[in-house]
Amino acid sequence: MDYRIREGLDLHLAGVAEREISPLPLSDFCFVKPSDFRWLTPKLTVMPGDSVQVGTPLMVDKNDERVAIVSPVCGKVHEIVRGDRRAIECVSLAVDVSASSEAIVPVESSAAPADIRATLLQYGLWPCLRQRPFSLIPPSTALPKALFVSCFDSAPLAPDFALLMREREADFAEGIRILKCLVGRDVPVHLCFRPDADNAWAELAQNVEIHNFIGPHPAGNVGTQVHRIAPLDKSETIWYIHPFDVARIGRLFSSHCLSFDKIFAATGPACTRPRYFSSVYGTDLSSIFSQSLKEENVRKISGNVLTGSEIDKFPSLRFYDFQLTFLPEETEREFLGWLLPGFNKWSFSHTFTAWMKKRKIFGFNTLQHGDRRNFVMTDIYEKVFPFDAILPLELLKACMTHDLENMEELGLYEVDDEDFALCEVVCPSKMPCQQIIRDGLFELRNA
Amino acid sequence: MKLSKISEKLSTHFEKGKPLHCFSSLFDAVDSFFLTPKTVTTSGSHVRDAVDMKRIMITVMVALMPALLFGMWNVGYQHFLVTGEGTGFWHCFGYGFLKWLPLAIVTYISGLTIEIIFAQRRGHQVAEGFFVTGFIIPMIMPPDVPLWIVALATAFSVLFAKEVFGGTGYNFLNPALVARAFVFFAYPSVISGDSVWVSGALDAVSGATPLSLALNGSVEQMPSVSEMFVGTIPGSLGETSKIAILLGAIVLLFTQVASWKIMLSVLAGGWITAAAFHLGGLSPLPGWQHLLMGGFLFGAVFMATDPVTAAHTTARKHTYAILVGIRAIVIRGAHKGYPEGMMLAILLMNIFAPLIDYCVVRLTIRRRKVLISRKKIRL
Repeated sequence: MDYRIREGLDLHLAGVAEREISPLPLSDFCFVKPSDFRWLTPKLTVMPGDSVQVGTPLMVDKNDERVAIVSPVCGKVHEIVRGDRRAIECVSLAVDVSASSEAIVPVESSAAPADIRATLLQYGLWPCLRQRPFSLIPPSTALPKALFVSCFDSAPLAPDFALLMREREADFAEGIRILKCLVGRDVPVHLCFRPDADNAWAELAQNVEIHNFIGPHPAGNVGTQVHRIAPLDKSETIWYIHPFDVARIGRLFSSHCLSFDKIFAATGPACTRPRYFSSVYGTDLSSIFSQSLKEENVRKISGNVLTGSEIDKFPSLRFYDFQLTFLPEETEREFLGWLLPGFNKWSFSHTFTAWMKKRKIFGFNTLQHGDRRNFVMTDIYEKVFPFDAILPLELLKACMTHDLENMEELGLYEVDDEDFALCEVVCPSKMPCQQIIRDGLFELRNA
Repeated sequence: MKLSKISEKLSTHFEKGKPLHCFSSLFDAVDSFFLTPKTVTTSGSHVRDAVDMKRIMITVMVALMPALLFGMWNVGYQHFLVTGEGTGFWHCFGYGFLKWLPLAIVTYISGLTIEIIFAQRRGHQVAEGFFVTGFIIPMIMPPDVPLWIVALATAFSVLFAKEVFGGTGYNFLNPALVARAFVFFAYPSVISGDSVWVSGALDAVSGATPLSLALNGSVEQMPSVSEMFVGTIPGSLGETSKIAILLGAIVLLFTQVASWKIMLSVLAGGWITAAAFHLGGLSPLPGWQHLLMGGFLFGAVFMATDPVTAAHTTARKHTYAILVGIRAIVIRGAHKGYPEGMMLAILLMNIFAPLIDYCVVRLTIRRRKVLISRKKIRL
């Protein structure tokens, strides 16, 4: 079925990745951060100095100890870095660069659902699945009402899935078969495509429901797709997973090969040569930083410019990210900038002359272009928020006023902070919409 | 030395714990007036739209400029028409400018002082909302209104219509209209609404406004339609020229700062009601002529479209705006004491906007439940 998204926005940033994949050799260190997994309360299972193999559990979820975060490489635990209140910030691994980053493990390919579940939990692939509401790793015993695989990313400078999934077609189909087995015959598996993209890599998948999403970002967000296909009630949950992780699961069951490899796009206006890299989850990216930056003062972002997180102490990609973005940090202040015509200023509004250049590529930077104010332009969010029957402004207000009842009724269960990223971008009051929604979700979950 | 360096150096004197900290909001307002803020994104989206509240407000002020400039000329023109002195364009314009300038200065001093004090007390930055409010207030006051009344009205509106509720964004009444309503009810002799406002005119030459003429059935004494459209009639600074207001409307719609839905719905509501009054014999004027009279168009373009005090989403905007139009004409037609109904209609609907919002939120919640129960949300 075709779904047309009208409300939304495509940001045209400079720095699209060239379609070539450069291998990135294993680095000396590998960083596994619990903060990559939202709501996870980590409990360490290793000590500094312990040897680890690919798939060795490093930590488990304190509330569900079958859910483990495992080592993506062979080596030793180098350091456990703790932050405020002794929270675990990072498990730093000293990588054995001579060893392979893949492991052959005994897995039965025609397993029953319970065995599939046990295998995914045992080898650390269970966290590849995420559950809405709350975007958390599903409980080890849970079952969803549907499984979603968004087969395209509509975010700015997003990687091309056809390139990511090249030579993984059979693994993807096998992964879908395994996941379908896991969730059961009655639970639909939805694959969501953009019809104008190269989707041949997903054609082998069977027993799935195909949907086409046409329109600007956030058409590729799983929240948008869930809302259109199977909207969530408060007692329901859905799971979603990245196609690359589906192929990872497929490969585990078909080739018995456990790997945490990752292909990612290094992009952005401050990137000298934007291209794809193949690497392993947690790899130290310092070598890319030293080669690929156009200037000194650059923000390195794991993920895209809308929802990514700034890379600070531990230079590695987050578990669920397949993109690295380099954005110039701007510090220049413009004289009477609010008064000038703004030929080169990107704006969703038509208050700067640059809006007439519809598809112009803009060199964005990290400036907020203003300071925080109260809500004034009250209808602007609806122009980039493609959720029917959810009122973005009212939902934000309910979160800000800690009104749990309204949060629930207005549909907070159905959204995630990433769904409000565009609202945040276009907001003239510079309201931190994503943070507000995240806080609201946190409050609702802990209520 | 670069301006940004100077600003950086000066800003250290306004930091917390420094003697000038009590003026930090003022410094910040002046600083961000000259130089764009240096704030970078720290959470959420790393890139942001170049638009901010300053840009929105300056766009509204640009849209108000044609009406203001014409108004300045017209105030002088009307004055010299009454006094019988024939004079040139610049003379008229200069007279009007000198009438407007003290009003604007008094308005801004009075309002901004309160804004800055509140911002400082709350530890906030000064919001830009008052730049437009302060721009509009002199445009909707009679040219000869005593300055102390303007100062008092502005102070009242900023304090009681805005700051007590939390400042720009939290107000539920349009502050410029509150200032006008304050003068209207507290000093009716200044702004009675049924006699014309000609600057410097003696009582003897003051006549009735077109609206009161229409209400009293003296249609033949009214100015012609073309005069009302061009704006060469007595009245407040901003409201007389419909051409200038329409130019402003084009700017607002082109830049998408104001909602065309509100503008159109106010006009539709007003026209339909006025036409109904005409058909029912309650008004001697055809419906469309009401839209050219008094402050109806100015209210529809610049006041009803205030995004803070209007209803907040598309469906609600229509309801809100149609009711503004209807109320304005009903007040005009039904209450002869209040020939200019637009001000009261907008304020009344400002009060009702949260109720409209509440109803639509409940309806949306109900609709969402129905849609979920059907397991499919309609596109």
